[in-house]
Amino acid sequence: MLLLAMLTLFACEKEIEIDIPPSEEAIVVEASINQLVGTLNYVIISKTVDYFKPDLSINSVRGAKVFITEGEIVGKDTVFSVLNRQAFVDILDSLAPGVYVNPFFMAKSEKPYLLEIELKDGRKINGTTYIPKPMVLDSTHYWFEQVGEDTNAYFYMQWFDGPQQDNYRFAMLNRYDSIFTGWGIADRFYTFDDELINNQVRPFQMLNPFKYGDTVHVYLSKISRPEYLFWDSFRNAAGNGGPFATPVSVKSNVSGAIGSFTGYALTYKKFILRN
Amino acid sequence: MLQRVVFLCIVFVWQISFGFAQNFSIAGYVKDSTTGETLIGAAVRVPNTNIGTTTNVYGFFSLSLPFQSKQLLISYVGYKTKTINLQVSKAQNINISLAPLNLEVKEVVINAERQDKNVRSSEMSRIELSGEKIKSLPVIFGEPDVLKAITLLPGIKSGGEASTGFYVRGGGPDQNLILMDEAVVYNPSHLFGFLSVFNSDAVKNIEVIKGGMPANYGGRLSSILNVNMREGNNQDFKYSGGVGLISTRLSAEGPIEKGKSSFLISGRRTYVDYLARPFLPERIQGNSYYFYDLNLKLNFILSEKDRIFVSGYFGRDILDYQSEVNPDVQFNFGWGNSTGTLRWNHVFNPKLFVNTSVIFNRYELFNDFFFGSGGFKIRSSLLDWNLKQDYSWFAHPKHQIKFGWNYTFHTFQPGILSGNLGSTNIEDQINKQYAHEGAWYITDEWQINHRFSLNYGLRAVAFNLVGPYTQAQFDNDTQLPTGESKVYAKGESIAFYPRLEPRISGTFVINDVSSVKASFTQTYQFLHLATTSGAQFPIDLWVPSSTLVQPQLAYQYATGYFRNFKQNAYESSVEVYYKPMYNQIEFKPGANLFFNQNLENEMVFGQGLSYGAEFFLRKKTGQFTGWVGYTWSRTTRQFDELNNGEAYFFRYDRTHDMSLLLSYQFNKKWSGNMVFVYGTGNATTLPDSRYAYRFGIDPGTGAPEYIFIDRYNKVNSFRLPAYHRLDISATYIVKQTAKFESSWNFSIYNVYNRANPYFIYFLPDIEKNQVKAYMVYLFPIVPSVQWNFRF
Repeated sequence: MLLLAMLTLFACEKEIEIDIPPSEEAIVVEASINQLVGTLNYVIISKTVDYFKPDLSINSVRGAKVFITEGEIVGKDTVFSVLNRQAFVDILDSLAPGVYVNPFFMAKSEKPYLLEIELKDGRKINGTTYIPKPMVLDSTHYWFEQVGEDTNAYFYMQWFDGPQQDNYRFAMLNRYDSIFTGWGIADRFYTFDDELINNQVRPFQMLNPFKYGDTVHVYLSKISRPEYLFWDSFRNAAGNGGPFATPVSVKSNVSGAIGSFTGYALTYKKFILRN
Repeated sequence: MLQRVVFLCIVFVWQISFGFAQNFSIAGYVKDSTTGETLIGAAVRVPNTNIGTTTNVYGFFSLSLPFQSKQLLISYVGYKTKTINLQVSKAQNINISLAPLNLEVKEVVINAERQDKNVRSSEMSRIELSGEKIKSLPVIFGEPDVLKAITLLPGIKSGGEASTGFYVRGGGPDQNLILMDEAVVYNPSHLFGFLSVFNSDAVKNIEVIKGGMPANYGGRLSSILNVNMREGNNQDFKYSGGVGLISTRLSAEGPIEKGKSSFLISGRRTYVDYLARPFLPERIQGNSYYFYDLNLKLNFILSEKDRIFVSGYFGRDILDYQSEVNPDVQFNFGWGNSTGTLRWNHVFNPKLFVNTSVIFNRYELFNDFFFGSGGFKIRSSLLDWNLKQDYSWFAHPKHQIKFGWNYTFHTFQPGILSGNLGSTNIEDQINKQYAHEGAWYITDEWQINHRFSLNYGLRAVAFNLVGPYTQAQFDNDTQLPTGESKVYAKGESIAFYPRLEPRISGTFVINDVSSVKASFTQTYQFLHLATTSGAQFPIDLWVPSSTLVQPQLAYQYATGYFRNFKQNAYESSVEVYYKPMYNQIEFKPGANLFFNQNLENEMVFGQGLSYGAEFFLRKKTGQFTGWVGYTWSRTTRQFDELNNGEAYFFRYDRTHDMSLLLSYQFNKKWSGNMVFVYGTGNATTLPDSRYAYRFGIDPGTGAPEYIFIDRYNKVNSFRLPAYHRLDISATYIVKQTAKFESSWNFSIYNVYNRANPYFIYFLPDIEKNQVKAYMVYLFPIVPSVQWNFRF
């Protein structure tokens, strides 16, 4: 607190000019599939930009060939048949360039998937993911606490974390409508594994209160380990900054690009926090 | 055959060197006549000869004199020089009391002293500062600080504005052995690094060895910081203290039995929490941050031959936080050191002195987090028990031999976690680790002739990581346990590293005022600080060498020219050094160090190189004193897994580093100090590109939503702006008598309000459609005042 007080009392800041030489461009892939929500099945392809380039839009990559193939696990092998190959196309190009979707695609839990991308210049990007079995919520409830003139609202839920190794990724939207058009519109994200709580009941409660009357959409998902490592490193990279920060590089699970191909085993729960 | 011939030659030369004429030994202690405190580094010599020595860290000396010697001259800066007539030419113990000078006398006799130790001694790269000197320097918030003072010396760099971490000749902050009355201090910081744990009221003197490390020291690669605490006045009861903007210090000292034993107790506490509380809203009055520390020292003169010292330190930093939004959310964070040292000085005879020490030290960290339906408690600690003996054998006028041994038992408790989430209990711990660390050394200070002297020695060290320990195997890709593990029984060796550390330094005295010195040091380090921040923080863990983590190794070659002017009133030196370092440790970008069972998987191993030249000019005596130091250096690191395997600048590589300290005694009442520092900006890693990620489309507006992630390529390829700053201070003595002393210290930190970089961050500017860089700087011009008293 004193450190913060000192920073508040004494720290000043000013804008500075920094000359960073141009960087080597890299391809970035964000691929998401799940078994529950159609609007969360998409592949986004973009490129890195020089750090101080005056452009805050996505540096989209158009015209790529994108395929996702459902596979089978046979013994110790994973087999992907060309017959199960489904194309993802940039039909939303005018609205959202670089976003490749397939309105008819829906993934299945406990299945492996293969992502194949071929760019216009011939570069290829590949990745695989596996969608685990979704979790089942054991119980949920919510309650209210009066603080001055406000009423704080809380909710609680729990599920059983099985004996196997599990990895979780949560997203929450605090808004009335529930159309989940991409993970980026969520208000809060959590990525964690079961290192500390394994093979027992796993409780979950938000420490920060909601307001009385809020509608909260909770998207709970299980993901596989490489995808967990990506999103865990992503969390560190996104939160990077401050005096003691160190450079963080994400742990990609696709080859030929930065990014992740993540299969989500989704569970959805809606809380309307009023009596 | 050749080896045998060389060995016989060495033995022959050594024996020849012991042949000498009739001599007798004088030994004893040199102390302050008013307080009974022993004086470290006091010069004892035979007038008009080169025969002389200095007192050791306990104020003890032994000198072998030619038979016809009749007088001894004893001198120490700030004290009246004393001449002793020797009644008989036979071995004897004498205790010498020196009277402190008052100001007028100091001006008259200042040039009568002869302080040419820096020219004649075979030691190099070594500097001493007194506690009084440290207290007189201008400092932020009026808080004198040992660690901030030493960064004004050449070759020692500060970690930054808000850091007590220091970097010696290209080494990291964990490569400095910090000793407080011989006890290792693992984390020397209070207030997240703004201040150090050393209470200046209790500090007698400090010694910094940044190269040419003698064989009686070891365990760290780069430097030794030896902080000696005061013993307490064994003549009169005295009370002293200081009231500053951040903390208050209080000390009491006095005789237990006059002239024979004494005590010193000294405490410090910050009070910002008390001062701020009335002004805080009621709902956050539970939030506070404070630190306190306590130094205790007892010493007993049992006989002419035996002295016992008991010293202890206990300090804590405590941060309490309660959420303003949700009062159930509470956070308590604390850390601190505890040390205890029991030392026994024994003089077997005027030629043989031994110190035996039993030392305990513990660094612990506690972290509690509560949130209504649950909570966590995390504890981690490092505990050492240390037993050592150091012998000084004044074997011959030309040979002073030191030998001894040192054994430490380390217990590492990286983390215990307990708590609950609702009805779910959570218990976890990272396995404890145990290690034996031993060292045996012998060193000879050989005065070959009036021009050549040599300090050569050998330190044999061994580190043994032992069970009980269960080493779980982890999959490198998933970072998950494979389910397999190796179990080590109690005492079973897990990793054993025996090593030899040869040390040598020599001096060639050109004439009475100049000399050339050279040294070679080989050092190993078995404990490593797990940090990613480049500075030292309370949560950083110390980890032992293991099967994967090899001991760090450094060689240091240094040579220098030393020259005094104006009857030793001015000291100057030029030193150059070359220091390759191996088995250096860094962490992978974004490594998770918190409660990580598989910490070793996050480490990468490489090498470092540092070389440079240091220039130093110091005026130690007179009304006008001070020094100017300048260092040119280059420090790099190379790791196969970082920066595409290419060498990169160490974060604290500083091409140019300069410090200027000027002190002036205007009159009996007023004295002033000025400090100016300049350093090339730190090397830092900045992103070279960015990309958009975590995409979504706002269902209401149709606008895309995403965040930018920085992408890094080259490590430490960017330089922050240069650091420079001017501080001034003035001390006004209101009253100074033998019974009472009161003084005010006024200081201005950063006089010309320089914006020195603390860190840089980036922010997208939506209106201008671009990313902008901002530099945060900590302290603008900061005036402060402190009142000090003694009665």
